[in-house]
Amino acid sequence: MTPSSNDRPPIPGPAPVKTRRFGFSLVWIVPIVAVLVGLSLVVHNLMQEGPTITLTFKTGAGLAANKTEVRYRNVVIGHVTEVALSDDQKNVNATVKLDKQAESFTREDSKFWVVRPRIGAGGVSGIDTLLSGDYIGADIGQSSTRVKHFIGLENPPAITYGEPGKHFTLHTQDLGSLDIGSPVYYRKIPVGQVVAYALDQEGKGVDVEIFIHAPNDAFVSANTRFWNASGIDVEVGANGFALKTESLSSILVGGIAFRAPDYNPNDTAASENQRFELFADQAGALAPPAGKAQYLALRFDQAMRGLKVGAPVEFLGVEIGRVVAVNLDYDEVKRSFPVNVGIVIYPQRLGRAHEKMIKALQHDPNDEASAAKLIGTFIDNGLRAQARSGNLLTGQLYIALDFFPKAEKVAFDPTARPVVIPTIPGSLELLQEQLQTMVDKLNRLPLERIAGNLDANLVELRKGLTQFNARTLPGVQNTLAEVSNTLKSANSTLAEDSPQREQLTQTLDELGRMSRSLRELADYLGRNPESLIRGRPDNAGPMDLQGPPRK
Amino acid sequence: MSTPEQLIICEHCDCVYQKALLAKHQKTVCTRCGGVLQRHNGLTVEQRLALSFTAAVLWLFANFYPVMSISLQGLKNSATLWDSVLALSQGPITFMAMVAAISIIIAPAFQLLLLIWVLGFALTARRSPAFKLCMRWLETLRPWSMLEVCLLGAMVAVFKLAGMLDVLPGIGLLALAVLSLLMIRIAGRDIRDLWDMP
Repeated sequence: MTPSSNDRPPIPGPAPVKTRRFGFSLVWIVPIVAVLVGLSLVVHNLMQEGPTITLTFKTGAGLAANKTEVRYRNVVIGHVTEVALSDDQKNVNATVKLDKQAESFTREDSKFWVVRPRIGAGGVSGIDTLLSGDYIGADIGQSSTRVKHFIGLENPPAITYGEPGKHFTLHTQDLGSLDIGSPVYYRKIPVGQVVAYALDQEGKGVDVEIFIHAPNDAFVSANTRFWNASGIDVEVGANGFALKTESLSSILVGGIAFRAPDYNPNDTAASENQRFELFADQAGALAPPAGKAQYLALRFDQAMRGLKVGAPVEFLGVEIGRVVAVNLDYDEVKRSFPVNVGIVIYPQRLGRAHEKMIKALQHDPNDEASAAKLIGTFIDNGLRAQARSGNLLTGQLYIALDFFPKAEKVAFDPTARPVVIPTIPGSLELLQEQLQTMVDKLNRLPLERIAGNLDANLVELRKGLTQFNARTLPGVQNTLAEVSNTLKSANSTLAEDSPQREQLTQTLDELGRMSRSLRELADYLGRNPESLIRGRPDNAGPMDLQGPPRK
Repeated sequence: MSTPEQLIICEHCDCVYQKALLAKHQKTVCTRCGGVLQRHNGLTVEQRLALSFTAAVLWLFANFYPVMSISLQGLKNSATLWDSVLALSQGPITFMAMVAAISIIIAPAFQLLLLIWVLGFALTARRSPAFKLCMRWLETLRPWSMLEVCLLGAMVAVFKLAGMLDVLPGIGLLALAVLSLLMIRIAGRDIRDLWDMP
């Protein structure tokens, strides 16, 4: 068998057969593929698996394990795997397995709520859940912290995070008929809605959170005024009857309207979450800002019939406030029942006067003590409060703050809070008082004595008159008869044919002639002045013949 | 006389024949009753074992993935084989749930386990421990394994519901279909060949 022993090729013998210990048949690909498919499915499932979170709800109504879905924008992002009571049995914990893509829903401020059919004044929502069963709505948060446990909301949030727009907070005295979902109108177009409300921290007002959708949120400026547009505004004025309302739905569910005042220079867009005051009505909202309120106390000694809470307070005819309280008081010293009237005034309503005053006096509007001092100086100048009749028919009163320079000086207490303004009686009362004093004076007159004196005088007068009649009158009659005679004789003297009158006429004729001859003499002398010395020449003209004969 | 390994009995009329070696597409027929005695089986032991493993994986699929899901106007439901058994157990006849569980889940699972056990040893031409017991049980379980019935029922449900609801066949249904076909192939009568092993 050695190759060196012979040159023949070796006889072919059987090659050793080696059997593979583990033969690998191609058929094994089939189970391997099946396993691979299975593995890929499992891995895919594991990859798809997102975080598990727990939601706490008040009730488990509508929640079913493995059935209730969690949806965002109506896309399923997870499902409830377990519904169980909490340890203290006060809540229901729903364990939710979120999808991988929904990982961001574990942000701390994400919101979850149960979507079920709801019928409200604002409309019907969640009607599809009537058939499909309730599901859990989710809203993605923005916080960077992640949590595993959430408190489910009882009501769906009105606005979800992705919505472009702005939130604002309105402060008001009471909520009125507003509710979550109440519309917000701008020029009667609904542009937003109320999303939340809560009492403020002191419980003295309500903070209403509203949301204005983009792009209309740009119309909310720093000067914008909001007012409650709920209900119906009925105005009866000199021009007749006017009825105003925003829309029918705002009557039912309330509403808020806003607008900036017409004269509105240097306005800027409001920032997110800016706070505004919510006024009761449009007139109040668009009026100049009232500014800081100043509470004052008045004390009237007369009855205040017709003065109601809410009655206006006027300063020199400008309405600057209103009455907030009318209370009866008892004065131990005088044993009388004065009326305490509380009023609130808004100095800013004085407009330019207020601005100028602040500038001139360098007064800080927030400094209460100096404000009281300022009022004190006004009172020294005669500032008084007076209840005046605003309406003679109904007897409605209003409070007028006015300067009465002649008013009595009153001691002013600058430390009293609220500041007390002295009062003077109203004009009608003043009139009454004056009449009263007049009547008093009249009462004090010694009428009896005067009457007695007068009576005596009259008696004497009568006596005098009788005397006069008896004695003086006959004398007078005689005198009169004599006077009559005198007048008669005078009359006869002056008669046409009386000798005295004849003589008078002759005398007058004589006088006339005399004056003529005097004139001739004067003429003659004028022509012949020498005749004064030489005498009249013989050849005197015939003219002279008329003159009296001479020589 | 031949050894029992070389003989075959017609299962319909008990006629005895000698076994024949068959090529592809061939079968032996009983001369007396015309029943099929033998059919060519192209599968080696190794292939059978591989297919058994495949069937086991498919069984897992069928049991852990929804067979079908139906939805109507947002109302959605899906069920695995096990869910359907549970649904029956909550119904009025709880006993039915047991029957269903045995016929569509437990019996196939046992069949597959026994097959893998027996075939795994047969790969090295050995009889497995408790070979006889296993083989008897395989025979016993065969009529109880009703995966085909379940598949047909599911298919009927899918087609009947399709008009009314949105029906979506799931991975489970596909797995069930393949599994029931595989079971016919690997857990059929041909398993008796294993008796020929020493």
